[in-house]
Amino acid sequence: MIPHLVTVRRRRRNGRRQRLYIPVLPVLLVLSPLLLLAVLGGLVACLVTRVSPVGALRGAGQLLWALPGTRIEIARGRTAVLVSVR
Amino acid sequence: MNEQRRQILQMLAEGKITADEAERLIDAIARDRPESPPGAASRPKARPKYLRVVVHAVDDSGGDGPSRVNVRVPLQLLRAGVRLATLVPPQALTKVNAELARSGVPIDLAELKPQHLEELIEHLDDVNVDVDDPSAKVRVFCE
Repeated sequence: MIPHLVTVRRRRRNGRRQRLYIPVLPVLLVLSPLLLLAVLGGLVACLVTRVSPVGALRGAGQLLWALPGTRIEIARGRTAVLVSVR
Repeated sequence: MNEQRRQILQMLAEGKITADEAERLIDAIARDRPESPPGAASRPKARPKYLRVVVHAVDDSGGDGPSRVNVRVPLQLLRAGVRLATLVPPQALTKVNAELARSGVPIDLAELKPQHLEELIEHLDDVNVDVDDPSAKVRVFCE
């Protein structure tokens, strides 16, 4: 299952909080032209470095599929950052 | 039926003890060794899904306050990462290994294979690293 929602929370030194909810699928759809260019660039890079493009695509897909459940939380004093992938 | 219980019932059947005494003895055995819930022994241990790294550090430098790091990474992500790492060309791996060795981390990435990782993850649920320091507490475990 690909990630559905990436949540970024940030707490600044002055106590101000920011929350950013990124719906992955709509963002991917909006950025699909750029994504296509990136994939093409990646394929060219694979051919240049003699890496199997199919293997690289599969590996990147597996990496994307495995992302849900990831949670990174770093707090230092009054500042904090949380990145959560669901 | 365990052996002690069988012996008590045998003694009761032979008339060596009364029913009340047999009941008291059986209760005493049950208290000494409580029976496990049915199926508990045969239930397979749940496989860990996440690798957790928790760090608590006290403020020792700039007065920003204590630091806290809480990372949860799916083990599936580790598998995918290693599979992706196997695609790295051998000449690049040689360079990476040389840099790692120079940094004091003598790990040969060429030896890292997906089949080895499966074996590693199988035994990760037993891994529990606790580092207690006056200024920081680090815990690495799987859940």
